[in-house]
Amino acid sequence: MIRFPLLLLSLLGLWAGGVFAQQLLDWTPEEIRTVEKHGPWPPSPVRDPSNKVSGTPAGILLGEHLFNDPRLSGDGRVSCATCHQAGREWSDGLARARGTVELDRRTPSLWNIGYLHWFGWDGAGDSLWAQSIRPLLDPREMNGGPARAAELLRGDAALACGYEKAFGSAPGTDDERLLVDTAKALAAFEATLVSPRTPFDDFRDALVAGNREGASRYPLAAQRGLKLFIGDANCNLCHLGPRFTSGEFGDIGIPFFVRPGEVDPGRLGGLGRLAASPFNLLGKYNDDATGNNTRRTRHVQRQHTNFGEFRVPGLRQVGRSGPYMHNGSLATLEDVVRHYSEVSPDRLHSDGIPLVRPLGLTAEQSADLVAFLRSLDAEPLARPRPAPLCP
Amino acid sequence: MRFLALVLLLLAAAGMSAARAADELPIFDAHMHYSHDAWSVVPPREVVEILKKAGIKRAMVSSSNNDGTRMLQDVAPGLIVPELRPYRSRGEISTWAKDPTLIPYLEDLLSKRRYRAIGEFHIYGADADLPNVRRVVELAKQYGLFLHSHSDADAVTRHFQQDPGAKVLWAHSGFERPEKVREMLRRYPTLWCDLAFLTSHVSNGKVAPGWRDLFIEFPDRFVLGSDTFTPERWHYVIENARWSRQWLSDLPPDVARKIAYENGDRLFGSAQ
Repeated sequence: MIRFPLLLLSLLGLWAGGVFAQQLLDWTPEEIRTVEKHGPWPPSPVRDPSNKVSGTPAGILLGEHLFNDPRLSGDGRVSCATCHQAGREWSDGLARARGTVELDRRTPSLWNIGYLHWFGWDGAGDSLWAQSIRPLLDPREMNGGPARAAELLRGDAALACGYEKAFGSAPGTDDERLLVDTAKALAAFEATLVSPRTPFDDFRDALVAGNREGASRYPLAAQRGLKLFIGDANCNLCHLGPRFTSGEFGDIGIPFFVRPGEVDPGRLGGLGRLAASPFNLLGKYNDDATGNNTRRTRHVQRQHTNFGEFRVPGLRQVGRSGPYMHNGSLATLEDVVRHYSEVSPDRLHSDGIPLVRPLGLTAEQSADLVAFLRSLDAEPLARPRPAPLCP
Repeated sequence: MRFLALVLLLLAAAGMSAARAADELPIFDAHMHYSHDAWSVVPPREVVEILKKAGIKRAMVSSSNNDGTRMLQDVAPGLIVPELRPYRSRGEISTWAKDPTLIPYLEDLLSKRRYRAIGEFHIYGADADLPNVRRVVELAKQYGLFLHSHSDADAVTRHFQQDPGAKVLWAHSGFERPEKVREMLRRYPTLWCDLAFLTSHVSNGKVAPGWRDLFIEFPDRFVLGSDTFTPERWHYVIENARWSRQWLSDLPPDVARKIAYENGDRLFGSAQ
């Protein structure tokens, strides 16, 4: 008669301690410190000193209206939101972006873009506002022409009112200044796009706090994948920090021919455009009088390695943001993991310690890595329509 | 006043002339590859067009496998200086030194065709004493060829220990600091350096101070290179040549000429 309650108690004890223990892998103090560096999330709001309306409610509101306004394009049919769709993780789900023509690169997601220091796949922009000018003018994208934004700001009463609230004066006669201000308002809005908290963030916070019960809710496959990510696979060498990106550039062995006889030079071309741009931070439109934010632009140097390098993307919402790579050449996360597992070292220059090497993952390891990456996804809150500019 | 203006005009003209001369500098490119994955996407005639547009008067080319070099020689024999690569596919970078089938492959090719160098091969530290590498050093001596070695200083030292008279072209100058490169050049009179894939010798379009001193101390010991290690990189050759001429224009003209093409011509000779 005594044996049954004892057995029951033993089973209950196993459930209370053992099952939770089985749901949490052993994490070394060093691993916990590494995981900790991928948070906290969300980060503090960011403000760009080169943009006087960055972080201001009036600038953000004007930017959101402009972001959705197709009148900024040459044919009046394409807005920023055409390619950067809220319902598609601020991208478009296409392998290659479509403006007035099909482009050579994928539309990058705008999640967490305000925290970068180089913008675009090739880093041709050194500020978010400078980068926002390019698609407005590019004949292959919005084809707006240099005067389009100015005419719109001056001619539309609501936008003119919103502009005055944001910039402190009515739109003037300087078309280029108004183009830059349009881009600064767009950037102010884009910088507010911060991805939601994810299952990984709950795990990270619980692990760091020593909350075993909370941490053990994180799926085992994701835990194993995370261990790989920060361990043998060394993914966090480039995909580091709370946003899972260094914000820099890399050649990961993806071919970069765009058509026969033509390549996408990536970062090398971006550096050339950066230097030639009248809108870079060394120019007259930088609102930061201290000049403190010009250091990167002044000192960046071209390297032979820059040819065919593209920006390391952040990984938050990555499972929802395919296709992948700068040219959308990989359709699924599984394809991405397979690429890193099987990448040919022949495509990577053997200079020092290679950033990328074939990982040779097993099927289970690949599945674990994908499970971890998917734990960086969460359903974003629905966005309300923007308030009127001047009710 | 008129005299001053005339002097200024002459100085400006001299400056423009120097710049134009630098623009027109022909180039001997001593570090090119035309490997199997490039053959269909950058066909031989396109390669030749690229070389001509880049102003490259001659290029030392190795290929994995060596058929690529032969294909280019067939199209432009006067342009291509052949180099024998010890790889049948680029994947052999990390296996060639221990591959028992390699030496017969090299010996067979050497008995059939003329080459100016063996390389570019990758070897580091004590691995340079492996039997395959020792045999490659012997073959280079036997056929009077350069060893084009992508190595650390230790491996280069071992080449010279095996054959004190070896002629070694140190790929990428070993990615070493100029102080180390100087030490090696002083120690080994038959060591030359290529500058392929290096940018550390240039800062904001000017030659970096440590490297400037080195180029002036050893003007006869450096050559240029593009290192077309992937097919895409053939489309970087023109840009690289333009960039090379830009930093070369920061050197005394005679030094620039030597590095640009005179050293390559002297060392590796004509393509025939």
